Amino acid sequence: MTDATPSRTHATPRLAPSRAQVRGAIGIAVVFIAWQISVWIIALPAYFYPAPADVAAAFVDLTLKGILPSYIIDSARRYALGVATGLTLGVMSGLLIGLSRFWSRLLGPVINFFYAIVEVAWIPLLVIWIGYGFNTILIAISYVVFFPVLYNTLTGVQTAQKTLINAVRTLGASRLQVLTSVILPSALPNIITGFRVGAGFAFRGLIFAEMIAAGSGLGFLIFDGATTRQTDRVVVGMIMTGVLWLAMDRLFLRPLEMATIERWGLVRAKGGGV
Amino acid sequence: MTVQAQPSSKMPRFDPVVIAGLVPFLAVLAAWALAPTLSDIPAYKLPPPEKVWSAFTDMTLDGSLPSEIWASLRRLAAGYVLGNLTAIPLGLAIALNRAVAETMTPVLSFFQSIAGIAWVPLAIIWFGVGQGSVLFVIANTIFFSSIYSTVIGVQLIPRVLYRAALCHGASRLDVVTSVVISGALVQILVGLRTSMAYGWRALVAAEMIAGTNGIGYMTLEAVQWYQTEIVILGMILIGILWLALDFLIFRPIEHVTVRRWGLLA
Repeated sequence: MTDATPSRTHATPRLAPSRAQVRGAIGIAVVFIAWQISVWIIALPAYFYPAPADVAAAFVDLTLKGILPSYIIDSARRYALGVATGLTLGVMSGLLIGLSRFWSRLLGPVINFFYAIVEVAWIPLLVIWIGYGFNTILIAISYVVFFPVLYNTLTGVQTAQKTLINAVRTLGASRLQVLTSVILPSALPNIITGFRVGAGFAFRGLIFAEMIAAGSGLGFLIFDGATTRQTDRVVVGMIMTGVLWLAMDRLFLRPLEMATIERWGLVRAKGGGV
Repeated sequence: MTVQAQPSSKMPRFDPVVIAGLVPFLAVLAAWALAPTLSDIPAYKLPPPEKVWSAFTDMTLDGSLPSEIWASLRRLAAGYVLGNLTAIPLGLAIALNRAVAETMTPVLSFFQSIAGIAWVPLAIIWFGVGQGSVLFVIANTIFFSSIYSTVIGVQLIPRVLYRAALCHGASRLDVVTSVVISGALVQILVGLRTSMAYGWRALVAAEMIAGTNGIGYMTLEAVQWYQTEIVILGMILIGILWLALDFLIFRPIEHVTVRRWGLLA
């Protein structure tokens, strides 16, 4: 009996995800209902524990005043610029260092060490060096993307199949062609992995950097809301950070990862068999 | 192949590679020491290495540095144990039932997405500045990171394994112990490591904003007094502590799981 229902849904593949989505939506609705009920039970001042309605009102208010859209744009711009800088520098240095056995061995430990100093720890020093504002945040975000990308690019370059490199070289490929047709494609899954790790840490780093060193953005909204006791605004900011990260993860990072793993993972698996 | 590869991978441990790896550190140190003589960077922006070293020895001798480090590590351990002890059993329980898992997954991934750091201001409102807030933020970060990977880990188990176990006459308890827990174990261990990485960042960040002691508090507090040597000391210690945690706790776990389940590509 119980087996009949799943097998029917498996036969029509479009039904299966929609059922999970319906259940997911129910889960989210339950959270909101539980939140509202807990507000009635706890019955504390709104600044201490705002109700969903307060937060919704704050959301509408912030949106109509244009504060929320402009903060989101500020955060997104900082994030995009920082991540792009970190990614570009990370891939370039990863390739440069990784292509030489000498340099990658020499620089490996020092890279590991700087990777371990989390971006959060750099922010105080950056504040002393550069002051509060855009550049400090940009450097912190680039930093947090740079190291995972560099580290994984190095690994990717070093694990490129020697046989493939030799094969391409016997066919008369130049150094550049070896790079573009063997090393870069085989390092790509690693680069994407590093990028995803870095992008995740960078998002958290952004929120933190904006709390300490910015006058706008979602992190500032959350922090400023707390200091002015507008807790509804704090919660709006928190929800927006969750929504934005989920949107970016599902619409951009995961498809990117799937695409590279499908495209290049297979190629590499075949290369390994040779 | 493997027999040949083993000695060569063990050899470099004490060999020139280690010494070569130290060279860049010395280069960084030398550049740092020479920077004030080569450029006009004022001492408050870049104190010389010996000043950082004397800050280190002073604070170690008067006991303030060990007590800050101890405060941070104790807090991290408390948040880590608290977060994982609740997250892993709860994650397994949620994941046992498909309907419950599907209902909870979006909620969990949403809470996991709200960066732990974003909870700091709300934590201050609820618990005030200090120990409570910091602990709440770390435990929260670790909890959601860990529960999410546990649920995903169970969902990744091939359904064939359940049927195979049931065919062999396994009871529900047998299925839980031999299929669910062991099947999700690798993902849970990955989650243990990931949650530590997020928890560590959350700890440092939360101490900076909501703390009254600890290594993060020490580092940001020094900015206000322009004690840049303490800022740099804090950064270096944050790096070393993370490397130590990773090396002493997580590398061994990873090696065991990789060997046991053959995850190495």
